[in-house]
Amino acid sequence: MEPSQLKSNKQVIHKNPWFLGILLCIFVVSVLASIPIEKRKYGLSQSNLTTDYTGLLPERIKKIVKAGDRSEIQEMVKEANEMGYHISIAGLQHSQGGHTYYKDNVVLDMKTFNKVLEIDKQNQTIKVESGASWEEVQEAIQPYGLALKVTQSQSIFTIGGSLSVNAHGRDIRFGPMAGTVREMTILTPTGEIKTVTRNDSEEWMKYVFGGYGLFGVILDVTLELTENDVYTIHTEELKTNEYEDYFANLIRNDDTSMHYARVSVAPNSFLDEMYVIDYIKTGKVDHKTPLKKERGARIGKLALDIGRQGGSLEDLFWENQKLLIKSLDGDEVTRNNAMRGNSAFMEFTKPGRVEVLQEFFIPVEHYEEYMSDLKRILPPNDKNDDFKIHNITVRYAAKDDYTYLNYAKEDMFGLVILIQHGLKEKEIHNAKTIIQEWTDLTLKHGGGYYLPYYHYQSKEQFRKSYPSWEMFQEEKLIRDPNGVFQNIFYDYYF
Amino acid sequence: MKIISERYVPLVVSVGQVVIFPYYILWLKEVSLTLTLFTWFFAAFSFSAALGYRLFQVGKKPADSFIPYIYMGMGCVYILVGYITSTFEVLPYIALFFQVILGLLQGYHHAWHIEQKSFRLHAINHYLLVGIIMIGLSSVKIISPISFISTFGAILFICGMGLLIKKSKDSSVSN
Repeated sequence: MEPSQLKSNKQVIHKNPWFLGILLCIFVVSVLASIPIEKRKYGLSQSNLTTDYTGLLPERIKKIVKAGDRSEIQEMVKEANEMGYHISIAGLQHSQGGHTYYKDNVVLDMKTFNKVLEIDKQNQTIKVESGASWEEVQEAIQPYGLALKVTQSQSIFTIGGSLSVNAHGRDIRFGPMAGTVREMTILTPTGEIKTVTRNDSEEWMKYVFGGYGLFGVILDVTLELTENDVYTIHTEELKTNEYEDYFANLIRNDDTSMHYARVSVAPNSFLDEMYVIDYIKTGKVDHKTPLKKERGARIGKLALDIGRQGGSLEDLFWENQKLLIKSLDGDEVTRNNAMRGNSAFMEFTKPGRVEVLQEFFIPVEHYEEYMSDLKRILPPNDKNDDFKIHNITVRYAAKDDYTYLNYAKEDMFGLVILIQHGLKEKEIHNAKTIIQEWTDLTLKHGGGYYLPYYHYQSKEQFRKSYPSWEMFQEEKLIRDPNGVFQNIFYDYYF
Repeated sequence: MKIISERYVPLVVSVGQVVIFPYYILWLKEVSLTLTLFTWFFAAFSFSAALGYRLFQVGKKPADSFIPYIYMGMGCVYILVGYITSTFEVLPYIALFFQVILGLLQGYHHAWHIEQKSFRLHAINHYLLVGIIMIGLSSVKIISPISFISTFGAILFICGMGLLIKKSKDSSVSN
């Protein structure tokens, strides 16, 4: 071939329609695969307004201090006492009611305070800094064949954050999360570093757990662990009025370690149908199965988005969910993997609307009557309503004697509800009205509601749900006389 | 009639595209989840336009034959953008599809347009018209940029339909 021809061939390759077509196809496919799931911008910011996961309470803050070593944090708390400024403590900010920041004040960002300090295989404990996420803890303990006793169903939260809200998860045997902490080091509001246990006479733990960052900084915790058991998944479809009996049998039978349920919010079976998922012990312990990564988020999100349209599409979503759950029946899963549910697929990014969580606790034996009453206040089909319910999960929350601001005064079912509503003033007001009515109904049945979420409830409802609020406040004033630890949550309720 | 189709319709299309594009970009920005995705949308548009441009150049059919469909296709995309009222979650995927279609059609149209006798004349008119219209639009209180986009889509669609009707009339006369 002559050089001139070669040259002309080189020139035309990028003008070849096939080449251009292939280039375009490759590019489009890679963009399709890279379209992100999450658009929302939330979190700590000094230049813009700071928000938490919901984004409903934007505020300007004065300063963000990344947690360095413990003496630095101690100096900061002492300085706040002297200078009279407030500190809020932030982890991954999944709490949704302004617990992690306060207007024109300082935020202590604990995310960098995340070292695993010690793993004791013999005694099955781990000592870890509080800014570590549960995922980081799982990664550290999985090679030892160990697993957490209690954690949330997702592993995306920080330990400090979860303990500050005294979170609960799918485990039905080990009680509240606070009960699994053997020891911890805290930095008190007056700047002292203390190592405390449950038997500590000053009862620091009782206030720090479920204390929403108002009683000090959790520096590290020693958590009790258990074996990384292998479970067989059992799933079953039930009518709502069969659930109490089903659960009573389940809790009597020691074979089941973890359990949760979902209630239908689809118009055709609204609050009538449920399915349950149980994790039954196989007697095997696992050291090898790797921790699962989040997969299929895009498909999961698409399915959830279809369900979010409401009406017959929500019926379709519920039917598909049931099929999916049925397909899990008989599968084996390790405890660690059962404790790290997917989360990315839940991201909601519609401008002008927000998806929030609420959780209502109801005494176990009131469940049936409560659900039946609930049907009277909620419309089965919310397709054309602004206030939409997308999901109700039922978890078991055992009686909690470890905290003062406790939500489980007896054995409770926690109904975790995913709600969507608009951001206009009247839409927020409408959501508030419905949730307050729902809260009243819950209170009527001897229940209460959870505090890590946006505060739709009134002060009066808060006081009824948490009768020990007064003692909590008194202790706050005694232990934190200068009000060093402050946040929007405290400001609203107290 | 021929003067209108040869001289003024391409001018309407090219001027309209420039005038409407800022409004379309506003919509696209709303849809884009990140700035990266926003720029990728335009990369897809450009690659697609290159293909459209080249497809015109290598086309063996008479150059004019596809032009009405090009206008109607562009019109459909803009009308569809106007019809999407809810910002549901699959919108970025749809926007990417729209970018590819628009790029392809615009590349093809551009390649055709520069070969037209009237193109040199349009160049000056084009800039003047864009400037005047933009100043005019700046005084209109925008209720929704979407209304401009869908109106322009309808104009394009009508242009395409008009050309098709004219073509069928011309062919029946020549028969």
